[in-house]
Amino acid sequence: MSGNPRKWWKANKGRMQQKHVPSHTPLEKNIARNEEILRTLYTNCSDVVFRSFLIFGTTPALIIYIDGLANIEEMDARVLAPLMQGRGNTEWRTEDFLQKVIPISKWQEICSLEECVESIASGYPVLLIDQQEKAISIGLAKWEKRNVEEPVAEGVVRGPREGFTESITVNTSLLRRLIKTPALKMERREIGGYTKTCIIVTYIEGLVEPSLVTEVNSRLSRIEIDGILESGYIEELIEDQPSSPFPQILSTERPDVVCGNLLEGRIAILVDGTPFVLIAPTTLFSLLQSSEDYYQRSLASTAIRWLRYFFTAMSFVLPSLYVALITYHHEMVPTSLLISMASSREAVPFPALVEAMIMEVTFEALREAGVRLPKQVGAAVNIVGALVIGQAAVQAGLVSAPMVIVVAITGIASFMIPHYIAGISIRLLRFPMMLLAGTLGLLGIMLGVIMAVVHLCSLRSLGVPYLSPVGPLRVQELKDTLVRAPWWMMDTRPKLLGEANPHRQAPGMKPGPSNGGDAT
Amino acid sequence: MKVKCLWISICCLLVAGCWDRTEVNDLAIITAASVDKAKNEEITLSVQIFLPRALGGGAGGAGGTGGGQGKLTTMRNSNGPNIADAISKLQAKIPRQIFWGHCKVYIFGEEIAKQGLADHIDFLVRHPEPRNRAYLYISKGEGLDTLDITPSLERSTAESLREYADLHIGMAVTLVDFRNMLRGESEAAAIPIIENGKKLQKPEDIQVKAVMVGTAILKRDKMIGSLTLHETRGLLWLRNEMNKAAISVQLNGVEGIVSVNPIRTKTKLIPHLENGKWSMLVHVDTEGDVVENGTRLNLMKPELLALVQNAVRADIEARMRMTLKVLQQELQTDVVNFAAAFHREYPKEWEKAKGQWEKIFPQIEIHTQINVNIRRPGLISVPAGVPQEEIKNDE
Repeated sequence: MSGNPRKWWKANKGRMQQKHVPSHTPLEKNIARNEEILRTLYTNCSDVVFRSFLIFGTTPALIIYIDGLANIEEMDARVLAPLMQGRGNTEWRTEDFLQKVIPISKWQEICSLEECVESIASGYPVLLIDQQEKAISIGLAKWEKRNVEEPVAEGVVRGPREGFTESITVNTSLLRRLIKTPALKMERREIGGYTKTCIIVTYIEGLVEPSLVTEVNSRLSRIEIDGILESGYIEELIEDQPSSPFPQILSTERPDVVCGNLLEGRIAILVDGTPFVLIAPTTLFSLLQSSEDYYQRSLASTAIRWLRYFFTAMSFVLPSLYVALITYHHEMVPTSLLISMASSREAVPFPALVEAMIMEVTFEALREAGVRLPKQVGAAVNIVGALVIGQAAVQAGLVSAPMVIVVAITGIASFMIPHYIAGISIRLLRFPMMLLAGTLGLLGIMLGVIMAVVHLCSLRSLGVPYLSPVGPLRVQELKDTLVRAPWWMMDTRPKLLGEANPHRQAPGMKPGPSNGGDAT
Repeated sequence: MKVKCLWISICCLLVAGCWDRTEVNDLAIITAASVDKAKNEEITLSVQIFLPRALGGGAGGAGGTGGGQGKLTTMRNSNGPNIADAISKLQAKIPRQIFWGHCKVYIFGEEIAKQGLADHIDFLVRHPEPRNRAYLYISKGEGLDTLDITPSLERSTAESLREYADLHIGMAVTLVDFRNMLRGESEAAAIPIIENGKKLQKPEDIQVKAVMVGTAILKRDKMIGSLTLHETRGLLWLRNEMNKAAISVQLNGVEGIVSVNPIRTKTKLIPHLENGKWSMLVHVDTEGDVVENGTRLNLMKPELLALVQNAVRADIEARMRMTLKVLQQELQTDVVNFAAAFHREYPKEWEKAKGQWEKIFPQIEIHTQINVNIRRPGLISVPAGVPQEEIKNDE
């Protein structure tokens, strides 16, 4: 496998994609021949069922399905029963007749072997009939899936409680139930040499900038990969700046979040097999917004947003500020506070930087363990964790009490970011910040903040500046960034890349006595 | 390329970093310092050092709540020709690095104040660590005794002295104020005096004796005399620094005392120069509340309130005149800074006269104009605890 990997890939592409089925092989007339080919394809596939039977006791036919993916009861009752028990004449060969006999709405005729395999894999049983060059894909797929439940990672107090599931059809139906216009488009494609994962790009025609859709589609079609198991694969493969710690594509499991973003002219990418839907383009501020912001009273939402901004900044700089103050800038701490800190640090054997690192890493470890570990032992870890970064560590003289407070506040603060995934990446940045603070003091923190801001300024998500609407400044859009304006003020849509349809609602909807009945 | 740059910068950071790192545990935090005269033209520099261990944090839960017993500070001193030299000798006696950043009180012994403070102040304002906002005091006797006192209310004497300054019962002079005073037109300065630390060693002494005992008056940087606490109040009125006081007055022909708290006071110096005659109009505007009424007068009556206002006016005037008499006749030092007022109003004449200011100052004629406004008679109207019929509604 030496040499240029790209060249190697091009040369061996066919082999690596594992196309067992030669493309566009038409079906043969002879059913025995078709069966032979399919049986060879599905050698050692115990879950594929071949059921041969005679239609009306005369014509051989074969039905192929995957056990567990097909609705067997329905198939027995609606396909096999009428075909096997009916009385035959020669007229049945017309397709019109078959459709009459088999009362099933999702019905597709297929002509190639490739389509056959695809249909079987999707759970649709395939009916092959002797002396016919067409097979019929019967829409009787049924497999076990999770119910629509409340999303675990994105809870709200007020707002819809349903979340996406692993089934893409359920997910699209959830979206369609919220946005009923035919302008809601869903472009389907398959990615993954082996998994053939169904990807749906959805947007609202007329609101979205058409070039954005083209861009997303072109980025998606670049992907050549074995399999897509989660939307995270797609996210990493279509990002603008792959090495950035900041996520440039939002992922959510809430249909209302997706719909809200679609209505603002964004694009959502649904991936089969995962409840996480991607939304692009994304800005830093949309990572800091929760769907509940739009359901609560605007005053409360504004206050909570500010709290979130503040604590996000805290989770970024608080430990480093503490380290810098306690190692370099003692004169900047109020005297009585310094005295308290000095006395609590008296017995601590480590420098502040090392102390902070130990505590922060421990906290991250506890958090990660808490996510991974089986629910039965959760309580044990909680207790141990509380001891490790709590009273016991202080009593043992390993860390100082103020450090525990700083770590605790940082931990809480980082969970204030509504999108957990985004929270992690922002939270990890505090480690280099602590190093900078430990080596250069406040100067280092300033350096780190400047680097972060410069980086954020240069980031783009599908061409939209990451810091918009603050940089570049669009005063109009601050109504949904600095504050959450009441709905009667949110007249315009964010501009994003263009102005496909700038107006969201009729102006002057502020309720009031002069505005009831005959509005001016 | 990018990666290489990143690695180089990371290495730069890690290789260069931390060289001037000082953990709080490696610091000897100085809370107060005193400078006293020693033998052979030397000075004694004493510092009060905070003992972090005594506060009881850190090791062991047992010490966690037990803070407060024993002293929280310790005192060290050493001699040297000047502060900088004394510090370097002091450092030899303290295992931790001396840190001046939280020293908020400097005390000078009476002797050294009489000799002149200029050299010592130079260190304090030149060195980057000492705070410009630290308070200055002159101690009767030697300053180092004060540093060794264990105050009962505050954690250290440094903290209690700082609190006294914040209360503004006497002068509160910071390093930067002192510098400005010395650089001002009158070249005179005032620094509060505290009681000799030797007399305050025992807890019972602390209970009875006042700590603030007056104000030292300095001409240039040398102490030439002092004002009593009573005279200091007059100085505060004159310098427009009065903000907490209780003025108790006895009304003519009335039994009992009325006390008034001025809430808002403003003093303006309006200079006047005519035919070589220098005079100064001290204009005081004050507003206040009645806080105690020991008389039988119903102060809700405007006529009776006017009586009180007149008495307060007379009292304020008497205080200012008493202080001015000491300043003009005995000390002949312009700490009120009339000089600046004249400089602003009559710059040309000032230029000619500034050489003889020391002769002019005692001669200045003082006029006063005092407006007293008592806005509120307090929460009650008529005197409390007095039968209704005994309350007088007129004179």
